[in-house]
Amino acid sequence: MKSTASGREGDTSIWLHNKLGTSNDTWVGGSICSQYNLEVLGNIRECFVYLQPQVKLKLLLSFFHIPCRNADEWHSELKEILELGRMDSDPWVAMVAEIMLPFPSTGSLSEEFNASESSGQIFHLLLKDLRKIIHDAPDGGILTPLESRFLNPNALNELYGPCEQPTAHFKLKRKPKAAALRAELLNKSIEAANQIRKH
Amino acid sequence: IKLISDAGFQGEITSVSTASQQIEVFSRILKTFIKNVVSSSREDQINSLKEYAKMVCHGQHTFVYTATLLHLLEAEGVKLPLVTRLFQEITSVAVQQGHDVAPILMALVRTGTDAFEGNSQTRASQVLSAMLSKKALNPADITTLHKLYSSDDPPPIHLIRIPQFLDLLVDALFKPGMKINPEHKPKYISLLAYAASVVETRKDGEKSLKQDELKPTSQAIERAHNVCAGNKTSAELLAELSSLYHYLRFPVVAAGITRWVSGVVTEPSYFKLSVEQTPIHLVLLDEVVLVHHILHEDVFTLLQNLFEVELEDLEILVQLDLKKMIIDRMVNLVSRGYVIPVLKYMANICQKEKTDYSLVRYFVREILEMVAPPFSKEFMENFSPLIENENITGSMRAAAASSSSSSTSTTAAVVPASSS
Repeated sequence: MKSTASGREGDTSIWLHNKLGTSNDTWVGGSICSQYNLEVLGNIRECFVYLQPQVKLKLLLSFFHIPCRNADEWHSELKEILELGRMDSDPWVAMVAEIMLPFPSTGSLSEEFNASESSGQIFHLLLKDLRKIIHDAPDGGILTPLESRFLNPNALNELYGPCEQPTAHFKLKRKPKAAALRAELLNKSIEAANQIRKH
Repeated sequence: IKLISDAGFQGEITSVSTASQQIEVFSRILKTFIKNVVSSSREDQINSLKEYAKMVCHGQHTFVYTATLLHLLEAEGVKLPLVTRLFQEITSVAVQQGHDVAPILMALVRTGTDAFEGNSQTRASQVLSAMLSKKALNPADITTLHKLYSSDDPPPIHLIRIPQFLDLLVDALFKPGMKINPEHKPKYISLLAYAASVVETRKDGEKSLKQDELKPTSQAIERAHNVCAGNKTSAELLAELSSLYHYLRFPVVAAGITRWVSGVVTEPSYFKLSVEQTPIHLVLLDEVVLVHHILHEDVFTLLQNLFEVELEDLEILVQLDLKKMIIDRMVNLVSRGYVIPVLKYMANICQKEKTDYSLVRYFVREILEMVAPPFSKEFMENFSPLIENENITGSMRAAAASSSSSSTSTTAAVVPASSS
């Protein structure tokens, strides 16, 4: 019995390597998820520690693409694999597993990292440093959120505060040609609209 | 690589592929790139932002790690516009690179106690995730979202303010050639108006919604959409101009009309068939520039594309007139405060000899006739390469010797100051 189980795990390991271990790119699509089921996930759990770090990373990241109903059904198996990932000697595998740990049960990601773990320390240190960089950044600037261009002023103000006005670089002594054109076309527009109404 | 990083030379590590293999090295490089973004000058900031986002999107693990960090910083609320843009930029680049980040975004949306609001949010995030993954809207999911947001207890508004979703909605309603089933169209309009206008506030965990602007925003989107989708002639558009000016006071309509104009005027035959001196579509861009400075960059990108397009089928004089007409639009941008990028662009195409000097001369003359001191230091620095270029202002200086026109007196005001 044991040798059959080992055989299945060996097959799973080779299959995962062929599917996920052939390129350095860690972006992974959802196609592999169609081949997951309770048995396959069980085999993955058994062979996980023997996989290459790159394969482990892509395997964990593929969990994002598992359809909700399957994720609900398999959440304990997925969590067990993530728990193994947390203990992994590869820091990236441990970090990604830590971040994704609540995902199978709640669909969300970690908010709290155990600072006594190595990955937790790295995360907290970087968070602290980024917080300082952001805090010290100059106010205002051109980097507005991308949805700003679509929002009415009141909605935008509620989200991000008052909008920064452009810097004045000179005084205007004469309006551009576009201003005269605007006035001319506006008159023509009213005339044209009246004409259409008459007909 | 780790030794170089430990010694503090993050700038020397040029291979992101190698750097992203070690979490400590990547973390240091991430800090360096974000520092570059926040400390860059305004003109270089967009480039630094693109470099940072490209670096983060090198791998899905680096993306998830950075997105989680930024999501936690967003929740703290300090310099929120900056942190949000840092987050959105990596999402935007990942999508451009063809990666499906919708499930990661939705997982982050659900991360945080305040954000999670039970079944309606779960349902909304599921249908949004499906549409974002496919980069396409569909009537069934839009109907579900519309129902959820019309209910007494709608999901949080930030879900439908995800930039990729707003882009899809605006494209569906304004991009030329897009078809929406008329039966479902009001739902698309209503959702876009809701995202653009409703003010959602939270006090002591209680959500309150202000919907005063929902109806007028919805009406403006609908009427502007009807004009844009109506295949109207220039004369018919002229009759609608004053109404369109009214509708595009709403930012979402202005963004939609900019997208519509962009689609129409970049058709290869557009300028061949156009008979007006200034086509009405471009006049609409002037109004967008007048009313919404946040859209200046989008309009300028379009104008640059139009300025650089080859119109070989047209006579050379007609081509020059067209380019002058586009310069008039750029001068309008300068008059409304979008100054330095336009000056830099003109100086750049002049230096690289990518355009006829007479066109740059026309630009310089128009600016000189419009501006008066006091000038900012940045304006001086960026305008002086054009003013001091003999090929551009030589003939104007000669004219200054025989007359004292207002434009040449402004030249005199700019040149000595910039030389000093």
